[in-house]
Amino acid sequence: MSQPPTPGSLGSAGLPVLPVPPKIVKRLSGIVGETHVITDPDRLLVYESDGLTAYRVTPRAVVLPGSTDEVARVVEILHAEGIEVVPRGAGTGLSGGALATENGVVVGMARMNRILEIDPENRLARLQPGVVNAHLTEATRPHGLYYAPDPSSQSTCTLGGNVAENSGGPHCLKYGVTSRYVTGLTVVLAGGRVVQLAGAGGARHASLDLVGLFVGSEGCFGIATEIEVRLLPLAEGVRTLLGIFETMEDAGRAVTAIMASGLMPAAIEIVDQATIRALEASVFAAGYPVDAGAALVVEFDGTEVGLDADADRAEKCCLAEGAREVQRATEPEHRAALWTARKKAFGAMGRIAPDLLVQDATVPRTKLPEVLVRIAQIGESYDIKIANVFHAGDGNLHPNLLFDRQNASELERVEHASKEIMKLCVEVGGTITGEHGVGIDKRDYMPLVHNETELEMLRSVKELFDPDGLFNPGKVLPSRAAPGSEPPAGMIS
Amino acid sequence: MTLGSATPLSDVVSPEALEPASGGSARLALGREPDAYVSPGSVQEVVEVLEWARATSSAVLPVGTGAHVGDRRAERPYVVLSTARMTGIEIYEPADLTLTAKAGTGLAELGGMTGEHRQWLPFDPMDAAKRTLGGLAATGVTGPLWAGYGHVRNHVLGMTVVCGDGRALRLGGRVVKNVAGFDLIKPMVGSRGRLAVITAVTLRLFPVPTLDRVLVLEAADLVSLVPTARAVATARTLPASIVLSLSTGAASFLVRLHGADETVDADQRMLEAHAGVSFAAKEGTEAEALLAATRDAGADAEVLLYASTLPSQLGALLDSIQGALRGVDCVVVADVAEGCARVAFSGAGYSDAVLEMCAGVEALGGTVAVHRCPIDASPAALSTPLSPDAHEIGEGVKRIFDPSGVLL
Repeated sequence: MSQPPTPGSLGSAGLPVLPVPPKIVKRLSGIVGETHVITDPDRLLVYESDGLTAYRVTPRAVVLPGSTDEVARVVEILHAEGIEVVPRGAGTGLSGGALATENGVVVGMARMNRILEIDPENRLARLQPGVVNAHLTEATRPHGLYYAPDPSSQSTCTLGGNVAENSGGPHCLKYGVTSRYVTGLTVVLAGGRVVQLAGAGGARHASLDLVGLFVGSEGCFGIATEIEVRLLPLAEGVRTLLGIFETMEDAGRAVTAIMASGLMPAAIEIVDQATIRALEASVFAAGYPVDAGAALVVEFDGTEVGLDADADRAEKCCLAEGAREVQRATEPEHRAALWTARKKAFGAMGRIAPDLLVQDATVPRTKLPEVLVRIAQIGESYDIKIANVFHAGDGNLHPNLLFDRQNASELERVEHASKEIMKLCVEVGGTITGEHGVGIDKRDYMPLVHNETELEMLRSVKELFDPDGLFNPGKVLPSRAAPGSEPPAGMIS
Repeated sequence: MTLGSATPLSDVVSPEALEPASGGSARLALGREPDAYVSPGSVQEVVEVLEWARATSSAVLPVGTGAHVGDRRAERPYVVLSTARMTGIEIYEPADLTLTAKAGTGLAELGGMTGEHRQWLPFDPMDAAKRTLGGLAATGVTGPLWAGYGHVRNHVLGMTVVCGDGRALRLGGRVVKNVAGFDLIKPMVGSRGRLAVITAVTLRLFPVPTLDRVLVLEAADLVSLVPTARAVATARTLPASIVLSLSTGAASFLVRLHGADETVDADQRMLEAHAGVSFAAKEGTEAEALLAATRDAGADAEVLLYASTLPSQLGALLDSIQGALRGVDCVVVADVAEGCARVAFSGAGYSDAVLEMCAGVEALGGTVAVHRCPIDASPAALSTPLSPDAHEIGEGVKRIFDPSGVLL
């Protein structure tokens, strides 16, 4: 199994450490076609990282199959040769889940991008893993239906990646995350074995929920090559509020007040001042006031009648907690602009610093005000700028640590600050990742939330699906601790 | 303590755990009487019992109230492990809308506690008022409220469990989004105690809706209500539940709407226009009584099974069920949104009827899962078999959690 990489240390010159032997390349080409096996070092550079750019490893090769059968045959050959397989969707993941390994070949799903069936009667869709999240909703909209989970990267991320990461998104507050919507999977397991897990509406009352187990397995069990998902009816109406606050603490208390009032918003998002300023200086400017300490985006959807009353109640909660103003997005264009800005916030951070570590953790919602203050203190103590934009209704934080990777001291301070934030979130009853996955980034933080017995159980489940450890090795699971050793530190220390 | 094959159970648990009254379980008819009933009072005592069972080659059947283990058959000596003494709320922070309670805590008790804060658990499985929290998680049966709120497995945030070999684990946590490691909660929910003994559960709660209205349409037979039911299920709104019910010869269609008063009014008008019908609307105690009667219909029947297919094939599914049970006084409660029908009946000749039903349902691409039948038949043999792959992987998961096969 591959050794854990360190940031930027492997293959970043663009040369694979161990090229795939020509004989194997020829066999792979015979399955997927010559143009769909990439071995040229320049083209391999595209695949050297995912959205977590602190880690870069050039894969030995990239294979782009076009069907379940091709995936199965490719995996069969690679595993027979002892070559590791790293599945990849669009590469938008933020935890290094699609990072190549030194001995690995990336199997990309980009060509498997067809929606195979939309079944409006049963509100189901069957599709290939390379379908872009937002494209599914576009395709089902004429039927009055949509796909609920909406990660911020939904305009580029794929359903296969969403399944691997059990992705969330702003509207998961009301509607739940990916696992709630996946009703069946065709998966390619170790050695190229093709297995059908549930489907046609999902398993009922008879067996263990293997679909639920596979969702969120981060490419460590196998590759999902067909996905069946449940669709929801489009909401009749929507109301979007923008609460303007002087401080993050006030905004955090407003979140708790709204949720405790019995309302069920579709989404509640917080955007802090640093993020607002970056956004408003970017092409995504949407009218967030740059002098605000924080902004709260609150959305309600459902039956048109009654939405105004819900919005009124939420507005009162905001004002009671110190909002200086609550705006309503009365025009669809304004609402769309608010959401585009929110979802493109990570991109806009480039205006503040050249590099960004998007952290992801969840805390009990009532702990938000306290945790936000302490995160700011952690940033100050390490002299690291931290911008916050996150799913406040779920307590799902995304502190963004801004830095310059050329500055070694700053990189190290980012790592220490990041670890302290993780410890803080666990200390108040939270967890180390809410929706981005463990990947390589959080792997060494796993002992913060799982003891060795629990980690061993996770390793056993991995071995059940992947006995030789050839699917996405080095991800999710930390190495077995040596007796008496300290839990491993984060990615640098 | 070193456990030998002759170590009596009384050596590893407190005397209270072996008191007959503490078992809290109904007598079980699994083909042989259990050797003992034990009710541990703590996670540690659960560990002790399971380690004892492994050392003595005994089997253990975990139960909440014991009312839903009719699919099991005991072919070797076994002990019933009840969670009846493990009760109480561990953490409840209403503003977080999450709750952690011990597995033996009754759903009715939890409903009372959360109701004080106008919160609730939106699950309505048969016998809901009699179930325990651990039993809810172990069976994973949500009830028709699935349509509006999602399945139990989507709302279990965390668990503590003791595996068959005595390892105690925490799965998940107490926050609403958590992907720190593979999702072992999913196979655990609905595993019916075959993987581990559930000792505590953390759930997401929901605000109690301002208004809970039940729309009712009655008819002489079930199948004639199907077109209306399907029209409602494919309308633009998302009701809390959509149920077709046949009980004591009367057929009815129930749609449950949740929300603010004006929202529920608007949804009712829209559904009536869409389906071309006029519903009778019930609220308050009248609605509660109707919902409870439908929810619990057939709870004591000798045969209890679930037949499922795609929702669009609901009419054909009901035809298959009624065709197989012609002349039999049966209860059918169908979840229209899910395409799943609960069927309950008593009387002789059930095996042939169930097999005929299986053949009909499977011809539609559906499945039948028998949850209870008289002791002279095997529920597994009467149910649609799992695919070989699902069976093999499922057995692999079982071996990981329960390597010695202690859990029945």
